[in-house]
Amino acid sequence: MPDMRFAPPNPLRIADRASGLNAVSVRGYNERLVLSLLLQSKDITRLEIGERTGLSAQTVSVIVRSLEQEGLIAKGEAQRGRVGPPTVPLSLNPEGAYSVGISVGHRQVEVVLVDFVGSIRSHAVLPFSAAAQDTNHPQFMSAIAKAIAGLPRHLHSRIAGIGLALPGDEVELELTPKAARERFDALQEEVEREIGYPVYVQNDITAAAGGESMFGVARHLSDYLFFYLGARLHSRLVLNHQIYNTTGAVSFDVGILRLEQEIIKQGRQTSELWERGADWPSFGEAEIAWQRELVGQMKSSIAALKQFVPIASVVLSSYAPQAVCRAICRELEQAMPGISAIAGNIERSPKAVGAAGLPFSSRFMVE
Amino acid sequence: MRSVLCYGDSNTHGQVPGGTPLDRYGPAERWPGVMARELGAGWHVIEEGLSGRTTVRDDPIEGAHKNGRTYLRPCLQSHTVLDLVIIMLGTNDLKARFNQPASEVAMAMGCLVYDIKELKPGPGGGVPEIMIVSPPPMLDDIKEWWSIFAGAPEKSRQLALEFEIIADSLEVHFFDAGSVVTCDPLDGFHINGQAHASLGRALAREVEAIGWPDEK
Repeated sequence: MPDMRFAPPNPLRIADRASGLNAVSVRGYNERLVLSLLLQSKDITRLEIGERTGLSAQTVSVIVRSLEQEGLIAKGEAQRGRVGPPTVPLSLNPEGAYSVGISVGHRQVEVVLVDFVGSIRSHAVLPFSAAAQDTNHPQFMSAIAKAIAGLPRHLHSRIAGIGLALPGDEVELELTPKAARERFDALQEEVEREIGYPVYVQNDITAAAGGESMFGVARHLSDYLFFYLGARLHSRLVLNHQIYNTTGAVSFDVGILRLEQEIIKQGRQTSELWERGADWPSFGEAEIAWQRELVGQMKSSIAALKQFVPIASVVLSSYAPQAVCRAICRELEQAMPGISAIAGNIERSPKAVGAAGLPFSSRFMVE
Repeated sequence: MRSVLCYGDSNTHGQVPGGTPLDRYGPAERWPGVMARELGAGWHVIEEGLSGRTTVRDDPIEGAHKNGRTYLRPCLQSHTVLDLVIIMLGTNDLKARFNQPASEVAMAMGCLVYDIKELKPGPGGGVPEIMIVSPPPMLDDIKEWWSIFAGAPEKSRQLALEFEIIADSLEVHFFDAGSVVTCDPLDGFHINGQAHASLGRALAREVEAIGWPDEK
């Protein structure tokens, strides 16, 4: 029996010297732990990583070195404190990995390319073509291909995958063009086959909540109630960083569709409502009445939930302008003392950005 | 006060490139001295550099005392308590008389790591932090040493990767000295005063980056 100490070495994770992401399909738990921690906090030292993960200094050293070689994390400038040795902060390297996120709404499809820290590198909106009934129209595939082509060639190996956020809400699905549901089911396979990257699928509201937890205002929140203001109002409960995803969750008709109806009653144009990244003009009385109704619904959702879990934080995510979301949060806070309501800061496409987070979380993070 | 042992060969001893075995850089010029200055008063730096030291091999020509493994145990015990042990060896193992590939030299480095882990010369009778440093690769022109080191320059360029694999699998710190210094052309395998200064500074930063909780 040979002394197993001197069997051929079995490195924990020596980085592949080729450029691009390591081919290892399953990353070690400890490595994911370190990456997840870095996603939550920028500029932390190896000592802090050790303290917060319980890993030994030597294990942290090995993991940090291989992640650095792989280009997933980067060292900052050494900081000289007044006492003690200089400390070297570590952060995720934004250029370390990229991902494509797609969200399919009832009116349009959004495609984003984000970097490793969730910054949007490119963004495209495609109207849903009612003419293309039987196929996911070629425009859709070309939008994904275009997002990828926008990235310099040598970075293509750094694309972690494609995330797809699909609607699950019965009412919103009814609004989508005919036979869309069947087409959605085939999307994962079609995109994987035609574009050639792994595709990860999630419910769109859950994806949006995941986006805020990963890249947005909820990074430091372990428990919160998540609201998504889209055509309707949706919610998800997040406890201990875990998003509860239930099929058949109810949504409420107090969303942007409702506002649209109010505005139409006044005989005004509503196209601005569905634009991305544009400010809304003031819609006057209609908007005030809608906001009151919306906040009322949020209040009763929170009140109902409070019977079971103490909830102190609420996050409101939407593609609607930030100013609108902040006004809603202010009104909610006034109506419910003790509740802190925060407007999400993933503007434009929270669902698509959240979808882009899926390949990162399945390939690099712990649950 | 924390203690670090610098366990190495002639390039830790401070032998001057192209000189005789008696030519040695001064204590403040050698990399352990530079590192001590960089680390400051909180650290006690112990130099243990012997010219011709191998990892685990008795040298049939230079003598059994060049064996880094047999001397490591008494050395660790002499200097305990140690917070950190830095080992930079490997070049002498590449002499033609040993006929070893780089991977075997790395395995031998692994032996030294196991010995340290077994002896536990660290705080509270525990395992200290251990850092493997791969020596800077030899130059192709090694002057009159070409026969003693026949085939060694090529192998020396493989040491960094082989050492890193061992460091990874044994979960110890690793630093590639070749990333900051090169050998002096005067003999092709010793480092000069400037390189000692660069290496001392770089290793001080590596030591600090390990992260040391405040001492009680």
